[in-house]
Amino acid sequence: MNASSFNQERIVLIATILIAVSASVFLSGFLNVPNLISIVRSISVLGILALGMAIVIIGRGIDLSMVAIMAMSVAWYLQMINDGYNDYLALMLVITGVIAIGALNGFLVAYADVPPIFVTLATGLFVFGYVRSQLIPSDAVAVPHGHWLELMGQFRLFNIPVDVFIFIALSFAAFIFLRFTKWGRYVYFAGDNPAAARNIGIPVRPMQVLRYVLAALISFIAGLLTAASLLSIQTRVINSNLLYDVILVTVIGGIGLSGGKGGVRNVLIGSALIGILLNVMTIADISLLSQNLIKSTILLAAIILDGVLNPRDEQTAQQGDI
Amino acid sequence: MTFRERLQAWRYNLVPDHIIGEILEKRWTDNAIPFVALIATVAAFGSQIPGFFSLYSLQESTRQLGEFSLVVIGLTVVMLGGGIDLAVGAIFALSAFAAIATFFIFALPVWVAFLAAITTGIIIGAINGYLIGYIRLRAFLTTLVILIIGRAIFEILIVNYGSIAQMSQVSSDIWDYIGDDIILGFSVPVLTTIIVAFITHIALTRSRPGWHVLAVGGSRRSAHNAGINVRRTVFFTYVFSGFTTGLAGFLFATRLSGTGIGTGHGLEILALTAAVVGGNSLGGGRGSVIKGLMGAVIVLVMTNGLIRLGYGTGTNQMVLGVLLAVAVTIDIRWLKNRHKVLNEMYVAPVYLKMDDAPSAEAGSGTAFELNNRLSKARSIGLGEIEGPEDVILDRNDHLYCGTRHGEVVRFFAPDYTESEVFAHVGGFPLGLAFDRDENLISCVGAMGLYSITPDRKVTRLSAETRRSFTSIVDDAVLRDPNDLDIAPDGLIYFTDSTKRYDAHDWTLDSIENRGTGRLLVYDPKDGSTKTLLDGYRYTNGVCMAHDNKSLYFCETWACSIHRYWLEGPKAGKAECVLRNMPGYPDNINRASDGGYWMAWLGMRTPSFDLSLRHPAMRKRMTRRLPQDEWLFPNVNTGGVVKFDDDMNIITTLGDLTGLSHPSVTSMREHKGQLFIGGILNNRIGLYDIENADKNWTAPVAYWGEKS
Amino acid sequence: MKLVKTLISAIALATTALTVLPAAAQDPGPVAYKKAMQGKRIVMIPMAMGFDLAQGWAGFLSREIPNFGGTFETRDPNWSVEAGAQAITEAIASDPKPDVLIIMAPDLNSYSKLMKRAQKKGIYVFLIDNPANFKADAFFGGDWTEMGRIEAREAVRACGEGSSKEIGLVQGDQTNATSLYQYAGIVEEMAKHKDYKIVAKPDSNWDATTSRNVTTTMLQQHPNICAIIDFWDGDATGAAAAIRDAGKSGKVHLIANGGGEKSADCDMIESGGYGAVVSTSVERESYDMLALMKHLLQSGQPAGTSSTYIYTETQTINKLTMNANSCWDLKALKAAAKK
Repeated sequence: MNASSFNQERIVLIATILIAVSASVFLSGFLNVPNLISIVRSISVLGILALGMAIVIIGRGIDLSMVAIMAMSVAWYLQMINDGYNDYLALMLVITGVIAIGALNGFLVAYADVPPIFVTLATGLFVFGYVRSQLIPSDAVAVPHGHWLELMGQFRLFNIPVDVFIFIALSFAAFIFLRFTKWGRYVYFAGDNPAAARNIGIPVRPMQVLRYVLAALISFIAGLLTAASLLSIQTRVINSNLLYDVILVTVIGGIGLSGGKGGVRNVLIGSALIGILLNVMTIADISLLSQNLIKSTILLAAIILDGVLNPRDEQTAQQGDI
Repeated sequence: MTFRERLQAWRYNLVPDHIIGEILEKRWTDNAIPFVALIATVAAFGSQIPGFFSLYSLQESTRQLGEFSLVVIGLTVVMLGGGIDLAVGAIFALSAFAAIATFFIFALPVWVAFLAAITTGIIIGAINGYLIGYIRLRAFLTTLVILIIGRAIFEILIVNYGSIAQMSQVSSDIWDYIGDDIILGFSVPVLTTIIVAFITHIALTRSRPGWHVLAVGGSRRSAHNAGINVRRTVFFTYVFSGFTTGLAGFLFATRLSGTGIGTGHGLEILALTAAVVGGNSLGGGRGSVIKGLMGAVIVLVMTNGLIRLGYGTGTNQMVLGVLLAVAVTIDIRWLKNRHKVLNEMYVAPVYLKMDDAPSAEAGSGTAFELNNRLSKARSIGLGEIEGPEDVILDRNDHLYCGTRHGEVVRFFAPDYTESEVFAHVGGFPLGLAFDRDENLISCVGAMGLYSITPDRKVTRLSAETRRSFTSIVDDAVLRDPNDLDIAPDGLIYFTDSTKRYDAHDWTLDSIENRGTGRLLVYDPKDGSTKTLLDGYRYTNGVCMAHDNKSLYFCETWACSIHRYWLEGPKAGKAECVLRNMPGYPDNINRASDGGYWMAWLGMRTPSFDLSLRHPAMRKRMTRRLPQDEWLFPNVNTGGVVKFDDDMNIITTLGDLTGLSHPSVTSMREHKGQLFIGGILNNRIGLYDIENADKNWTAPVAYWGEKS
Repeated sequence: MKLVKTLISAIALATTALTVLPAAAQDPGPVAYKKAMQGKRIVMIPMAMGFDLAQGWAGFLSREIPNFGGTFETRDPNWSVEAGAQAITEAIASDPKPDVLIIMAPDLNSYSKLMKRAQKKGIYVFLIDNPANFKADAFFGGDWTEMGRIEAREAVRACGEGSSKEIGLVQGDQTNATSLYQYAGIVEEMAKHKDYKIVAKPDSNWDATTSRNVTTTMLQQHPNICAIIDFWDGDATGAAAAIRDAGKSGKVHLIANGGGEKSADCDMIESGGYGAVVSTSVERESYDMLALMKHLLQSGQPAGTSSTYIYTETQTINKLTMNANSCWDLKALKAAAKK
């Protein structure tokens, strides 16, 4: 096996399989259907966010506002319901808001040429700040009794929770989008070489806006799912490591931050690694602190291995590619 | 003069439009936006918060600012080198813990705690640097993972040892002094920040390692190809960031004497925001410590101010988000459009009414009437040279000229068919002169005054004069040294045509028509350069009068010749001796009959003369039309004019065909022949002068027979 | 001898006072009270303002403090320790300096030095809810160890004889005193019930999603668990969701810990999400604070010398004990504040 075929994706895949196999052997509660379902479920919100992140990153961007949009859009939505707004009106308002924020991200990145890392960092802060200070009174907003989100959260098919289906459906949709639609292919062209993509007549800038809008909408779905299963949305999630986890899940599976590479498969591999790892460690009753350490050390090992096997070249490295 | 014209003259000659362009050209204008934001922030919160400016309150509340600024300085350096360091949040916490543990748990002296904190910072910085610099991992992802690992380790340490540290009875005056006291009116963190910022600023702007960082950040590939050790440079930026963050962690430890799980949480985002709000660009190469500091102050004053004013959760983030978005967008747009704005704004034409000139047309019967005699000149080096602005001959009859490529080319006597590159100077060698020791002195466009010894050693004589007090653009620099002549006492008199444009942009200077040309003198005895005269519209040729008591120099765009007195009652004064010529004068050189040869670069046209009375029109022209459609002075027809000390026009030479010498910038008489140069020409002309002294040569006329 | 002198002079003083003001049969109390309390500045710095406890304290305090002519301010560090530390620093350095600082410490250590400094400046420091390694003028809040014991007792009661006697814990984290002391209390109480055992004790990091995930795993690994103790009602919604998802509502008794706010606690018990909530009354804590504040400000006792602990009585709210007065209503409090 030569070095180039031994890429990060395979390294992570092998690591995932190794962990899964040894867990099956050594941990009694690991290899059974309910646990496997719970692994998928525990990773589903993270995985859904990672799908949105993947679409943006493949197009050579990054979206740091996803977690903020996820939590705050749903918090605002629930707050409006709690305040007695009409459900459809509230939903329409929130979706409009979500699209507007996505479009703002895209506009600033595409038309104002501002680096996406700052645009989305700024809009993320703003979305959290605005909604938290102006629209909702406290950190957490509860799902009202009997709301459709509550029903959705309790929906089961073959004893499998709805999160799993939505994750699978969105993965499939993202796969179709990226692989088989014209706009999806544009994501790769624009990510690989934006200047060339523009020269051959691809509407690079509008497509960029589209990607950020998609990411925002996906975040909203992830937020709805979170609220459905917890019956409330906790906006303090902004302060957590969730955003970093989303980036790691996206990137660890082999989607390069410089764009143009990877796909849904990589997200799934990354999700599998993180999901299995967390599950195994919880079963083994490893404390959360050690879990963080173990998880991040494995991630570091993976990117170091990738860096050693596929070194970057001084001559071909892109300027400003961090 | 009509009233309209008078208004125009007032408007364009009295209002200093050019200052705007000159200010915009300054690098420090980059700092203007964050600086204004800084002032606005401090003013807004200072006026809202009672007691904000009281000394005690400032001293106490800026401790955190000191620590934070140190982190931002480190991050700024990393960003200048083209990277990013998200691990600062972990480095800060671990360094603080290292200091706490060393001091409180192991009861070691304060300096050991200090070393422990710094070492912790440097080690983690070195890990980052090694992974990113040497293994070439991506900075964002790598430092993100290091951040998470670092914080996980920190949390585990806190869980296990945090309370032990707090139960400790250790205390030390030094520790408390660092944490709580005031030195010279400053708290220790602020003092440390000032020192570190100063050293870092000097290192970045004035030392080799600092330049390497900027070079790597500006263009990694070019830096690599230029032989800079890119990997090591990147490595050290992270080590430095680790160092400053470690320092900040130590100061934090002394300030609070305790660390908790939240220590340094989210610091990386806040520091990144500060660095960017200050105007440092992501991707490297552009930014400064000052910008980082301004960003730090803005961000902290704003966040703490909002909390202090009792605003609820979220207001802070909302304001920060807007601030960040606006700052980055302005920064990016400014960076992108700066050149456009500058190009549009910079040319600021003035009003000038030129009086009618006598005609130079063939058959007009005036003294300036041009003929076609130059078209018969033979060619030297046709097609071999480009842009011989000036030509000169030495005692051995060899011919020298400068070229566009920065070379001085020598043609060998007697037939001038063979040539060699006599010396490579760089820039664009323009005026030439031999001194007493047969060194070739040259005014090199865009570089300065240079000397080339007979054995081809090139030395710089002068590149700057004293800066004038009112200058905005640095006018100490010689931007367009043009022509020179040398007095018997060895003083070199030379012209610098414009302060506002580089040598190759001389056409822009003609459109602007602002008087910024200078006459200067260089004294080879002490190497000093002095400005003698200032404020002429493109000073050009210089020639010592035959009696060496005065010198002549041209003012090209005013079509005038001035006489500057070196001796006698008018010594040190200049007078205009010839004005309103029909051509734009260039170099002046001595003739064998006691007169002077003067080159005409081009001829005045009624259209351009008219445009000089319409500065608004020229301004519009430079803003709205592409450059090749602009109205320029005519340089398609020139000529040679001989005048004497009484300003009688003795003879004229022209090339009405425009084939061989359309524009003439220089000519030298040598043994009855006239050698003709042109800045836009591809040859040197050779013209036999009627009734000339066949033995006269300039070196002898200037310096006498060789002993 | 000295005592006698003092007594005599006191009596003399009292007699002059009485003789000067014989006609005005005025109670000197209110005047003295007014004089001592007028214009006092009270600043509260909780970990954040965006959750029920902080809003409850602020609600009660801001209603009462203006009554005696004081001013009440809050700072909202939004869970940032650094911002909180800075807020304290600036409060100490501000002019006029506050008279009482009410601080909710995020951990044992971070604020200790600052709070000592505040006391040195003559500011009374009240600690609320979270203990710290620092001798505050007063501590208000639950006795976390005792709460742990009560939670364990409630778990044992709910499981009862004939159950699996397996109990799970969802801890907060390993640094916060509330989490550490609660755990200690639970372990202490469980030692008395040898047949019960703690089968798993993961951390939620105070996050509902994590709480849900770890509880799901816990329930799979130990399907017979009869009670789960989650250390905070803020994240216990996650544990509740996991129990509901596993179809074990009513079978697994979820015990949470909270401030007795209606929608956070009583409503959840009502809906069956929680089995019980061990709560400290925010209202009672607030009035305790007010009382001690009034005492200290009038006594003139130097800051740093009081060191009073006022543990708020804890109550266990479950379906059996819940009544209309078990919880306080944040919405109502806010509505009242608006009027």
